[in-house]
Amino acid sequence: MISRRDLFPVAAAGMLAGYAGFKGGTAGRSARLGNASVAILKAASYSEDLVSRMLQGIRELKLNPRGLKVLLKPNLVEFDPHTCINTDVAVVAAAYEVFKTLGASEVIIGEGPGHRRDTCALAEMARYRGEIEQFDARFVDLNRDDVSPVIGFADRPEMYFPTTALRADLIVSLAKMKTHHWAGATLAMKNFFGLVPGNVYGWPKNELHHIGIDRSIFELSRVFHHSFAIIDGIVGMEGNGPIQGSPKPAGVLVMGSDLPAVDATCCRIMGIDPGRLEYLRLASDRLGVTEEARIEQRGETIRSVRTNFNLIQPFENYRLA
Amino acid sequence: MGDSYLDARLHALRRTQNPDGGWPYFAGKQSWLEPTVYAALALHGEPAADRAWKLLQSWQTRSGAFRPAADVQMESWGTALCITLAVARGEFGDPFERGVEWLLKTEGEDSNLLTRAASVVGLFKPDRNPRYHGWPWKPGTSSWVEPTAHALVALKLASAKRQDRDVTGRIRLGQAELLDLRASDGGWNYGNRTVWGVDLPSYPETTALALIGLQASGVKDVLDAARKIGIERVSPLARAWLAIALRLYGVATPAPTAPPTPDLMLTALEALGCANYRYFKTGGEA
Repeated sequence: MISRRDLFPVAAAGMLAGYAGFKGGTAGRSARLGNASVAILKAASYSEDLVSRMLQGIRELKLNPRGLKVLLKPNLVEFDPHTCINTDVAVVAAAYEVFKTLGASEVIIGEGPGHRRDTCALAEMARYRGEIEQFDARFVDLNRDDVSPVIGFADRPEMYFPTTALRADLIVSLAKMKTHHWAGATLAMKNFFGLVPGNVYGWPKNELHHIGIDRSIFELSRVFHHSFAIIDGIVGMEGNGPIQGSPKPAGVLVMGSDLPAVDATCCRIMGIDPGRLEYLRLASDRLGVTEEARIEQRGETIRSVRTNFNLIQPFENYRLA
Repeated sequence: MGDSYLDARLHALRRTQNPDGGWPYFAGKQSWLEPTVYAALALHGEPAADRAWKLLQSWQTRSGAFRPAADVQMESWGTALCITLAVARGEFGDPFERGVEWLLKTEGEDSNLLTRAASVVGLFKPDRNPRYHGWPWKPGTSSWVEPTAHALVALKLASAKRQDRDVTGRIRLGQAELLDLRASDGGWNYGNRTVWGVDLPSYPETTALALIGLQASGVKDVLDAARKIGIERVSPLARAWLAIALRLYGVATPAPTAPPTPDLMLTALEALGCANYRYFKTGGEA
């Protein structure tokens, strides 16, 4: 027995021409696929000096954002005071300071939540508005931004995206390290669902479910490939994520320019076999690197920080040996 | 609700109308259907509302659907809002007729023939009743609470002009869908009751919208969930929709005092909550 949500991607798959037909895709990016670097930095709590940690990681990874228009994309989904759904405000505030310090010409924070329409109210509850200086002036509700079309997205002839995201030179995925009840895990790549505008596709962004969640994760990372990731794994979420799971302290920030490599590394930290995640299988060697042997770990080793996240029953066999 | 509260909002709307006749979500941006309809309802009777209607008509496609914005080539749930605006304006010509026809033939993929057949033969277990017919945000996707609520309002209003069985039948199936999507706590969220067997909570803003869609449905307890929500404690958007919904049901709400925000859709909804909420009135509760 399969569920309604599962049925549509299966049906849609019959209409797809296959990945060979992608427009744009990874053309011109093959040089990047030789290997990747990912930094794992320990941070036991949100009160630690996260700015220094991020600067250390960015130096290790040789990212130079000077002169770039940077969009910081946190994971701001819902608010529940009893768990930890969203990227912590301390991580967002630190990232803002880091990219300003490193000479970015513009740093904007943007998000388009998938279920809730009052994005500012969510930002208030998540303490973004209270603790990030001049937050309202620096924030764009990507669900209600102006939009422009991008030609070719999965089997769709075009897909509309916020102009704020399309004009950014660098999108920094400030994702939360969480399990996900459909995709297995939600990390740097899945976080780009928030770049899809609700004013075109609605709440939820059901178009992505009909295209297929894994395929959509792949396509979003293909379109927004000028990206960098800083994963908030200081306290992640395990179990029935991304909303109803339980807090899981992992005590790390994970950073890198190769988003599949970052996500694969996070999976290994969480005790999840990245090879079992369909979206990472799609992305592997097309958008980035997922094999452990081809990812150079900077900072801490995976072994030293691994902490198994509880997995709900459909994903129990995703456990990394 | 105080006149100064309403006046501040109407003034903000008058000075932020784009030259094309529409309204953006935030001043200086492109016009979108959704804030344009709400602002036009709030400013009903003024020339600004006439300019908005003229613009919206230019966004209607050959199918009868309206586009969500000038440059977005897509059929939109916002067609329902345009029908509601047309009824408020007494515009029952071709744009109205074609918009209603589009609403009647549009349904979520969760209730199309393929899905119904697949569920009957046991290929999958639907998490909602596929015999009911709600409305999607855009064609080719599933139905959800907000577009279904707005489509119900539009068709109920349209039924004053078109009392045919297509309209009344579709209203019945749409209401059934909305009731089928109700969360275990009695309210509504975006349209999923559970995920992996775990109940999901309702949201105040979608609960308010469901109430608006279910006016005159005969369901006795629809107000219970809304009454439990402390209107002072919810987000500004939820507060605006709750004020509209509760007043449609004849329930008094506290007089707000906050100044307008840069969010023009919210500004328009807050203005509608003061007076012109009556344009959403479809039933006998108010």
